[in-house]
Amino acid sequence: MTALAARVGGIRWTHPRTIGIAGIFLGVIAFWLALPPLAARTVIWPILIGVVAIAAGIWAQSRDERRVGWGAVAAGLLGIVFGVLATRSSVDNLDKVVVWSALGAATLRYATPLTFAAIGGLYCERSGVINVALEGMLLTGAFFGIWGVDKTHQWWLGLLIAMFAGAVLATIHAVWSIHLKVDQIIAGTALNFLALGITGFLFISIYGDTGTPGNLTQYAIPDVHISFLRDVYFIGPIIGQLNLMIWLSILLLFVTYVIVFRTPFGLRLRAVGEHPRAADTVGISVYRTRYIAVISSGAIAAMGGAYLSIGFVHSFNENMTAGQGFIGLAALIFGKWRPFGAWGAALLFGFSSAIADRLPNAYGNEWGTLFQALPYVLTLVAVAGVIGRSIGPAAVGRPYVKQ
Amino acid sequence: MAEAPLLELRNITKQFPGVLANDHVNFDLRQGEVHALLGENGAGKSTLMNILYGLYTPDEGEILLHGNPIDLGSTKAAIEHGIGMVHQHFMLIPVMTVAENIVLASEPRHAAVLLDYDAARKRVREISERYGLAVDPDARVERITVGQQQRVEILKALYRGAEILILDEPTAVLTPQEAQELFEIIRSLKEQGKSIIFISHKLNEVLEIADRITTLRRGKVVDTVPAAGATEEGLARMMVGREVLLRVDKKPAQPGEPLLEVEDLSVVDDRGLEAVRGVSLTVRGGEIVGLAGVDANGQSELIDAITGLRPARSGRVRVGGKDITNASSREAIDTGVGHIPEDRHRRGLVLPFTLAENLALHDYRKEPESKHGFLFPSRMVEKARRLLREFDVRGGTPLTPAGALSGGNQQKVVLAREIDVDPRVLVAAQPTRGLDVGAIEFVHRRLVEQRDAGRAVFLVSLELEEILSLSDRILVIYEGRIVGEFPPTATEEELGFAMTGGRREEAA
Amino acid sequence: MTDDDGKFRDPKALEPELVPDAEDMAIPTPATEEYSPRRFLALQSQLGGFVGPLLTTALAFLMGGLVVLLTGKNPLSVYKAVWNGTGLSWFFHVGNHHINLPLVGRTWFWWDTGSLAAGNLQQTLLITTPIILTGLAVAFAFRCGMFNIGGQGQYFAGAYLAIWVGTSFAGMNHVLHVVCCIVAGSLAGAAYAGIAGILKATVGAHEVISTIMLNWTAIWVGAYLFGQGGPLQNSTQPSIPISNDIVEGARLKVFWGDPLLQGLSVGIFIAILMLVVYWIVINRTTLGFEVRAVGFNPEAARYGGISVARNYFLAMAIAGLFAGLGGAVDILGWQYRLGETDVHANTIGFIGLAAALLGRNTAIGVGAAGLLFGALLNGTSGRQLDPTIFRPDLAGNLTTIIQGLVVLFVGLNLTTIVRRRHK
Repeated sequence: MTALAARVGGIRWTHPRTIGIAGIFLGVIAFWLALPPLAARTVIWPILIGVVAIAAGIWAQSRDERRVGWGAVAAGLLGIVFGVLATRSSVDNLDKVVVWSALGAATLRYATPLTFAAIGGLYCERSGVINVALEGMLLTGAFFGIWGVDKTHQWWLGLLIAMFAGAVLATIHAVWSIHLKVDQIIAGTALNFLALGITGFLFISIYGDTGTPGNLTQYAIPDVHISFLRDVYFIGPIIGQLNLMIWLSILLLFVTYVIVFRTPFGLRLRAVGEHPRAADTVGISVYRTRYIAVISSGAIAAMGGAYLSIGFVHSFNENMTAGQGFIGLAALIFGKWRPFGAWGAALLFGFSSAIADRLPNAYGNEWGTLFQALPYVLTLVAVAGVIGRSIGPAAVGRPYVKQ
Repeated sequence: MAEAPLLELRNITKQFPGVLANDHVNFDLRQGEVHALLGENGAGKSTLMNILYGLYTPDEGEILLHGNPIDLGSTKAAIEHGIGMVHQHFMLIPVMTVAENIVLASEPRHAAVLLDYDAARKRVREISERYGLAVDPDARVERITVGQQQRVEILKALYRGAEILILDEPTAVLTPQEAQELFEIIRSLKEQGKSIIFISHKLNEVLEIADRITTLRRGKVVDTVPAAGATEEGLARMMVGREVLLRVDKKPAQPGEPLLEVEDLSVVDDRGLEAVRGVSLTVRGGEIVGLAGVDANGQSELIDAITGLRPARSGRVRVGGKDITNASSREAIDTGVGHIPEDRHRRGLVLPFTLAENLALHDYRKEPESKHGFLFPSRMVEKARRLLREFDVRGGTPLTPAGALSGGNQQKVVLAREIDVDPRVLVAAQPTRGLDVGAIEFVHRRLVEQRDAGRAVFLVSLELEEILSLSDRILVIYEGRIVGEFPPTATEEELGFAMTGGRREEAA
Repeated sequence: MTDDDGKFRDPKALEPELVPDAEDMAIPTPATEEYSPRRFLALQSQLGGFVGPLLTTALAFLMGGLVVLLTGKNPLSVYKAVWNGTGLSWFFHVGNHHINLPLVGRTWFWWDTGSLAAGNLQQTLLITTPIILTGLAVAFAFRCGMFNIGGQGQYFAGAYLAIWVGTSFAGMNHVLHVVCCIVAGSLAGAAYAGIAGILKATVGAHEVISTIMLNWTAIWVGAYLFGQGGPLQNSTQPSIPISNDIVEGARLKVFWGDPLLQGLSVGIFIAILMLVVYWIVINRTTLGFEVRAVGFNPEAARYGGISVARNYFLAMAIAGLFAGLGGAVDILGWQYRLGETDVHANTIGFIGLAAALLGRNTAIGVGAAGLLFGALLNGTSGRQLDPTIFRPDLAGNLTTIIQGLVVLFVGLNLTTIVRRRHK
């Protein structure tokens, strides 16, 4: 009878895993309570709920739900720490930082280039080719996107030119990594230098003294206005008016999921990345598959760059991506080489950027800056295996030698 | 010959740098037969079959199917001609399901672009029922047994419409029961009209399953004979090319103190499965104890545990009375364990290192090679020069990279190093694998010398002949247990019986 | 299936297999003395030891020249101007002057030391110093089979600590203060790289990923330290995101040129000394023996009694030591301070990476390649390059392009292609 009762609604409520996940949620709630709009002013609530979260975590942990259990313990601890910190801050300051709808929209904006980079990287790495050149591809897309718009005055032509440029850069990576069997990390590093040098060189020779023309804003990638959502509480301000590229990145996620996990091509792609010789012995062309994957990777990552220059800030500067390609790579690893996992990581990293942006409003510059390091530290933690080890495709980084 | 052969290989020649792997080989396969390809390691069997499967292009010769010449430029072409291959090292993707592995590259689709997983599962079930190869289409390959993985490989070929199946050393990784199941499968495939090429170097298997037997030696066909009427002795003669077994001249052993004592040792393999299950054995000074067994019955894990390369789960290892259970490999070396590893490229040598550096791999931290952390390369070279002379290593000076030597000379370098550390126990794992006859004799002579010098020699080999000719006592390992002890006068049959679990009930 | 070494790849193992099939390798090869293809290849790759990098550099400069040509300028005159800016022409000047060498004192040279070229050379050598040191950081890890992309972060770790120690403890004994800064910086670099080393040694985390993450973490931590309100930010001018200057007593001695005009400090001798130390450690110590064994074949090293994990950690830590030293020497030698923008713009660690690759991870190679990149960087800088011949900001990007091309072609290993053609 109790077993039956425990399974109400198809969920096993007393299962350690469920308890552990509940613990994680409680940890988040412990923090959330102290934030606007509720903004609890007493330290009791965050501590109390945090302790419950930790208890749930320990219980789950002791029943062999290690990862979820430790996750709940960590969430509880962080919930207490941040919750108490928040109650010590003035409501006024909190209000300046924690504007949920603005944070939500900013998160999506910041996450979009990372999402494109991560998806680009996903194709490449799933085929067994490491891509540390995502940064360069992003930067290339950013420059050629705005150059294309400047020349054609059409945002979609700019986007296409950016994708083409990214694909060209990726083609070098492909030839070097696949045919010439150069160490893929060395090739990627070289391409990052090249992209930085070439975009900088072109930017200065074309726009040197004045920077990119300011009138390009009118040709930028348009926003999508969803008028009926405009006044819906909370959701309206977030997704009522977003850039087209943001929607495109989400669409691309679904398409990528279907391609990689639901089509014959995806199966072959993954086979090539896991065990190229096995793929070869059933007649799959390892080289062709890898070429397709690497070159698409460049075009997709370049879309992220184009979003930055002609969808977001409407200008270009030398080295304007400033490491976002590497955060994209981090998101890919953090998300365990899966589309939605990578997106989740990109959102998390985007959220930390959004917070970093708003922190200086109330708490001074320095905390915002420090927050920018969060994605990298989290990824370091992820590869260290503290929260479930990230392991990539088995053949990643190994050139394939045909027999 | 009444019926025309289904498949015919004519005058196939394939040259690799320094090696003539196939020398004008002729081979034919009839409809519905099992044709065994017999030969020692390195006789050219795999090369021939890789040519047939489109992985290599022959330098000379032609391939005929139903009497018509065909061009097998790629594996794809081979598959299209109905040729399927079960590789010795399975070509399966561990993280994917059985069904995914089987349909890979010829996937059923729906809506033109999507992979139809339901249809894939259904097809896999159909074929597996038709040929009696039970597998779960949704199981992940890394979670199923080796025997089941082999079935998946066979299903992969059948799914692609293979009429000709090449099985490359299929029993090498199987337990005897699994091997028997495989033979059942082969018989049922034969009944359904499939033609099978069965590659092996095991005489009894070949006699049991084949209709005809072709023997290869050093890249050349020796003869093709019907299995009916063939004897193990006759086949062995064809395979190795000499009638008399390679007997080593040696005096009777004079065993002394026990130097290597293993007590109730259990070791797990890389997958966390128990590979060595309570092994106890003793090797005395002045004797060679041979460990016979089919590949992958726990030999590698046992050696690793003795030499400090893998932790033991339980039990004891003692060398000269000193407990070295779970010691580091350096402690094992310092206690007097010499180790000739089974794979000299992977373990025994650092190929880009010079011979002097390779010879110093164990004692580079000791005088005279180094002092206070500083190396003295000239002393390393000096020592190397002496050892190279002593062990008759040819083809290099102390400053030659080890990778530039031939296999036999590389093995001499390993041997020189392991003997030079003056070990009390010498563990020799497949010490003659891949060597030519001259080098084999050299290694064997050296091992006997070590025995006569009062050291304990523990010889692990897959070659029964080697075990029989060198050992003073023979232990047989099966599924991680020692299942019997034999004198050197034992016959191959007796050992073979024990190696396949025949005397398990007596093991206590 | 997967290799036994799991996530780890031995950079040398990426060479294409020479013999196509594992089983065929077991075929006994005749042990003839007169001909061995492998022996021939080994010889050839030794030859490629300096031919390859030279070809690579020539090719990169050729392509860089094409880029210049595209902008309508004459590449020869641009390269000439860059050459003049490097000050390397100093070596060909005849004069009758002296410079003050440390310990040795006034040393007479028959060359000119006060000319423009001498001043330019001082700048070149100032930049060469950290490039060599971060180059050694890459090279040392590479010898242990690891690709240390984290030279930049380790350099920063050293620089930050040097600034902290150098701006504190005013009035301390000069030599002691300098030593403290250098030791603190080196250890900071070692500890920072050690994180990646520990992760690789214990859980097998790929060092490329972890060092990339550590680089960016270091950059943002630097931006925090020196940014407005940061703990190491200028105490007198809170609006400027720059650190305090390190005190006089913590600065390295300038032995050549005017200390007020960025003369050459003794840091260059530290770099040269480290090249020698690197060579000795790698080739003449048991530690170097272990590191190289692990780098070539970790499984064989383990079999030989060497602790692979320990060497991964040690090699990374020593690599970080070099890079951290580079950061410290850079601060103590001429920078004296670090700003938020410097932290974002500095790419010395990555130039060091290019130098290590071009120099094939040998001491002499890293030294020569370090000088090449130092000269290139200085020769194309706004301070040295005549803007009427070529815009310095364009030339700076040209340097980055040449760097990229060098790394691209270095990986290619031109001799490998020649070899494959002949097969």
